[in-house]
Amino acid sequence: MVSGDLLREARLRAGLTQAELAQRAGTARSQVSRYERAEVLPSLETLRRLIRFCGLDLSFRLFNADLEEHDATLIAQLLPLTPEERVERAVRAIKHVYAA
Amino acid sequence: MSIGNVSDFEPGQILRALEAHHVRYVVIGAIAAVAAGAPILTTDLDVTPARSHENLERLVLALRDLDAKLRSASAPDGVPFPIEAEMLASAESWTLTTRAGDLDLMFLPAGTQGYDDLRRGASRERIAGVTVTVAALADVIRSKEAANREKDSMQLPILRRTLEQTRERGHEQPGLER
Repeated sequence: MVSGDLLREARLRAGLTQAELAQRAGTARSQVSRYERAEVLPSLETLRRLIRFCGLDLSFRLFNADLEEHDATLIAQLLPLTPEERVERAVRAIKHVYAA
Repeated sequence: MSIGNVSDFEPGQILRALEAHHVRYVVIGAIAAVAAGAPILTTDLDVTPARSHENLERLVLALRDLDAKLRSASAPDGVPFPIEAEMLASAESWTLTTRAGDLDLMFLPAGTQGYDDLRRGASRERIAGVTVTVAALADVIRSKEAANREKDSMQLPILRRTLEQTRERGHEQPGLER
């Protein structure tokens, strides 16, 4: 998830408009908008500060690179399918798991 | 369906019942994430219905068609309850079992403002032969982040990864009102 998504998620969770968050942070609404649309990438410290104005905080976790690669491969296999095909496949898979 | 009898899980039947009665709702949770391309599995269908009285009346008809009961670990076949609009309106969420599988009604999923909020970013997708409104993956992530349950936390990395890869491929849906 990129910084713009994180910021938007934090703002929406706090129930704030872009203007309200900008006012809290002492910046312009247009700047918040640019961050959310990833037109401008905020520094990590700026991102953390803005998220704290939403009453939240950032945390960080490290994941095994091999697992991430595995996940990426699975996702890449699913994305060419239609949503309907993905759901059908998942329902078949869960039934297979439980039947085994 | 008996609780835990996943072989009966047919989310399409549940969706068709909701559509047949013109219920306004958004598919959320794991099925929405799966529809977006997330490689996860689930044994239930989560939806956020609109809370208007008229919609709850339509939802009542669909739930009766589905023979919905309260899900309970101590009662494998579920616990019958009075399926009435006023009853549904009295709680924020309902954990149900139906003849087509488990169904969770969540009027106000964590981190969201409910139906209208989720509908804005949602898209219309065909699932199991019916066209339904499906929450955006970004909103599913937002809700699971806010819920902060252990099972959600475990799924979040793969959901975020799915969102990233979707955007890289330019596959992300624009949303109905965004």
